[in-house]
Amino acid sequence: MSSQPLVWLLGLLMATPLLAQDARQIIEEVQKRQRSESQHYEGTLEVIGGGNRIATKRWTFDRIGSFGNSKSILRFTVPAEVKGVGLLIINHPDRASDQWMWRPAIGREQRIALQDRSTRFFGTDFSFEDLEERDVAQFDFKLVGDEGGVWKLESTPRKSSQYTRSLLWVRKENYTMIKVESYNKKGLVRSIDYRDFEQVKGIWTARTTAIQDVTRNSRTTLKYDKLEYNLPLKDADFTLDALRRGT
Amino acid sequence: MMLLRLISWPYARKHLLRWLLTLTGIVLGVGVFVGMHTANQSVLAAFHETIDRIAGTTQLQVTAGEPGFDEAVLEKVQALAEVRAASPVIEATVGTDSGNVLILGVDMLGDRSLRTYDFEDTDTAIDDPLVFLAQPDSLIVTRTFAGKNGLQLNSRVPMKTMQGDLVFTVRGIMKPGGLASAFGGDLAIMDIYAAQKFFGRGRKFDRVDLALQDGLTLEQGAAKLRAALGPGFEVEPPSSRGDQFEQTSRAYTLGSNITSVFALFIGMFIIYNTFAIAVTQRRAEIGILRALGATRKQIRTLFLAESAVAGLAGSSLGVLFGIALARGMSGYIGGMLTDVYGVAQHSGALALDPWLLGGALAMGVVTSLVAAVIPARAAAALDPVKALQKGRNQALTERENRVRRWWALGCAVAAGGALVGSNNSFIFYAGFVLSVIASVLLAPTLTLWLSQALRPVLSALRPVEGTLAADSLIQGPRRTSGTVAALMLSLALVVSLGGLSRSSFASLNEWMSVALNPDLFVTTGETLTSRTFVFPASLGEGLRKIPGVGELQMVRSVRVTVKNAPVMIVAIDVHSLERRTGMRPLEGDARTMYQQVARGEGVLVSENFAHLRGARLGEVLEIPAPRGVLRLPIAGIVRDYSDQQGSLLMSRDQFIQAWNDDTVNIFRIYLAPGADEAAVRQRILDAYGNTQRLFVLTNRDVRQYITRLTDQWFGLTYVQIAVAVLVAMLGIVNALTVSITDRRRELGVLQAVGGLRQQIRHTVWMEAVAIGFIGIVLGLALGAVELYYALGIAQRDMIGIEIGYSYPVGVALALAPVILIAAFLAAIGPAESAVRGSLVEALEYE
Repeated sequence: MSSQPLVWLLGLLMATPLLAQDARQIIEEVQKRQRSESQHYEGTLEVIGGGNRIATKRWTFDRIGSFGNSKSILRFTVPAEVKGVGLLIINHPDRASDQWMWRPAIGREQRIALQDRSTRFFGTDFSFEDLEERDVAQFDFKLVGDEGGVWKLESTPRKSSQYTRSLLWVRKENYTMIKVESYNKKGLVRSIDYRDFEQVKGIWTARTTAIQDVTRNSRTTLKYDKLEYNLPLKDADFTLDALRRGT
Repeated sequence: MMLLRLISWPYARKHLLRWLLTLTGIVLGVGVFVGMHTANQSVLAAFHETIDRIAGTTQLQVTAGEPGFDEAVLEKVQALAEVRAASPVIEATVGTDSGNVLILGVDMLGDRSLRTYDFEDTDTAIDDPLVFLAQPDSLIVTRTFAGKNGLQLNSRVPMKTMQGDLVFTVRGIMKPGGLASAFGGDLAIMDIYAAQKFFGRGRKFDRVDLALQDGLTLEQGAAKLRAALGPGFEVEPPSSRGDQFEQTSRAYTLGSNITSVFALFIGMFIIYNTFAIAVTQRRAEIGILRALGATRKQIRTLFLAESAVAGLAGSSLGVLFGIALARGMSGYIGGMLTDVYGVAQHSGALALDPWLLGGALAMGVVTSLVAAVIPARAAAALDPVKALQKGRNQALTERENRVRRWWALGCAVAAGGALVGSNNSFIFYAGFVLSVIASVLLAPTLTLWLSQALRPVLSALRPVEGTLAADSLIQGPRRTSGTVAALMLSLALVVSLGGLSRSSFASLNEWMSVALNPDLFVTTGETLTSRTFVFPASLGEGLRKIPGVGELQMVRSVRVTVKNAPVMIVAIDVHSLERRTGMRPLEGDARTMYQQVARGEGVLVSENFAHLRGARLGEVLEIPAPRGVLRLPIAGIVRDYSDQQGSLLMSRDQFIQAWNDDTVNIFRIYLAPGADEAAVRQRILDAYGNTQRLFVLTNRDVRQYITRLTDQWFGLTYVQIAVAVLVAMLGIVNALTVSITDRRRELGVLQAVGGLRQQIRHTVWMEAVAIGFIGIVLGLALGAVELYYALGIAQRDMIGIEIGYSYPVGVALALAPVILIAAFLAAIGPAESAVRGSLVEALEYE
């Protein structure tokens, strides 16, 4: 189980009731219900900092491949100053992802080092690690509570992570993740809420993700437009060359 | 205490001018010493502070000399389990209208693990982190720099880059303190990949800063990194960079230390002289005190207490003067070190070392006390009857002279003997010190002999005045010899440094005419030493096509540690160098050495490298490079003054291969036959001047630049010399004042029997000029000896270059009238005082 918010919003929500009580089974079912071969959306990002100052950006997001073994490309489209900046993520089932950033103004890509994954993703309240997909095999899970219609689980990473543990809330009705709280040694770091669920091509999908960086006291809201699943995307569009080409 | 109040204080008030002159001698001596040391220390401390502030929590730094290394090295470092955080850095100093600014190129994604960026407003500081990264024109500046230049968020900052003249945008302002205080606050942060582009660094980093996992020691971490990266890399804590700069600039530090100590010595000599004169002059007072029952101990204590008070007052003022001097000089020294070594220096706040200040204070007091010990003892030993007899104590006894001469002879013989073992530094420096002591000990005797030799000349010039002046010198050698000795030491300093400077210029000119013979130099900066920016090799192809360009040499110079010293590697097309300059080797075979180097089977080393590092022809040097250690034999030793620490000339092809770096610092251009220099220069500027940072210097420009740099190098020395001469002049004023007071009755009698005031004036003037003349003779002679030592020190410990002995005749000829005029000017005041005093009082004196 991972604590990555975007992962869960990529296609969390498939709903067939399952009476599974085992934590890992719950998470596997969550993943199964959101499975898609590809995904595309246009996101609108609002970062609300101190003094309620709001910075707005837009990006497009494309993903191909199965969960934990997928590739995705994210490209900023608005504002003009950041247009074309891209991020290629290649997830691996057995280890941390590879990530490259493309900066058109200087015409080069930059590898995001593993050590830098805990840093903020371009001034948002996400970290680069939050953008990864990590296979359930990379975590230990424990069911820590039953809050009526919602299961409360705890995940602990087996491999290197900025988080020591995360608490996950999964709605029993449709196996959708509705909230994640991520902790490090010092305490709560990030809190993510998934909202405005609707079904897209049979997958329960949150149309809004709100993330709060507790240490900085700032929050970011991501809204999803033009969300589609299982589009005919090509592998060749998820390479470093493709990142450089900007296609 | 009571004696001080009742006896010393009225005397000091009565002879206020003399005491002020004495104090001035102490103030200048201590002041120059404190000023030079404090200014040097301040610049070095500012450099260390900058390193420290930039380092943040960095524990170790990975470097591979100045050229840096490929980006792939960063991944290797980051992949190590022992490394908690690693971030690449490019450092560059860029000149702006308001002075140099240190630009730190960092990867803002990971750098915050190592450095704290404290912004003025958390949200608006980096107005938008994504914009900062997406837009390579982004700069974060400090509040200090912003305030100085009237910048705000989104302000525009023009800068000359390798991409031409660009305008950068301020996207963040850091609060003062911590990192923002580095380089005196003149700091700006730029994205590292943008810095690569704008400074022409290709895909290279200068270094990687890193922090280790908890629980690892620096030694453990460094060992792991060295094992992973190989021997071409250095893994050291940040502080080692400061140590390396200190090593690079040690020639300057040593030189300034020697001259400042010499200046202090001259100042101290004046103090000694002044006190000796004061004690001698007050012999009548001593006689009265002794006749009234004062014990010898009381007399001795009185004079020692006086000297202690004067020493304390003068030293205190000297320390204050030194601090003020340091404040004025540190900026100059910082600028000079930046120009000479190509490593930007910023003179920050003065680094006041309490030990240095306390030491200088104590030195002033102790020297005053030491200076007073002998006169005080002599005063205490005085027979009251003899003490009341005028003039007795101004003469030196034959026994005194004999003892001095024997000591002088001993020192001179020892100094001569030291020449035999001068390969040993200690023996060499001991010989230097002994030669100075011998000359000081001989000064009274030589002064007496020269005064006697001058008597007929002075008498011939002015029978009455000349004879009186000469007799005054002969009768009062104790009064005169101290001043002469101080003047002698000052002039010897002038001669030796002037000779060193003259010989250096001569050697430099000879080298420039051989090695620096291209017609044009295309550089990235107005200074040849700056290596912040580099050209792409492709520019060379473009330059070759410009009409009028005959031959082009691409030069890459980088500082790399070889034989534990930061030396300069100069990579160049060796065949072209041989063809165009034909530099003859000091050692090695001129026919084969160039071929050997061109094949990548050897290096040429500069003479100073060989001297300073004890390198020999054929010795295999280990040169660390990112792709492994190069082991190359020394194929030849040549005269090359590219760098004070020494230089290694290697094949450009080999450099490119070993460092994976084909960039260029300087293009050396030889014009095609018949081509017009100005026209070719203009064509180059027209073709590339607008698209990238580029300067085209003519051969004349480069020579002038190097000459100016050398002038700058000697600049502070000249200041010290001026102070030393000034102190010596104060000695003349003092000696004359005493002389006039001593001879007040004699001068009064002269006036009473019809002597004209003008004759009195002439007497004093002639005495002063005679002191100046004797000082000149002895100073120029001692200077000849000191020049030998100065050249030796320069060769063995400073620049390692063998400079031919060439006595600065021009300096000597110029000095003579200057000193004689100065001596005359110094005599005007005392002479007027002699003629304006009351005749009755003068006749009543004593």
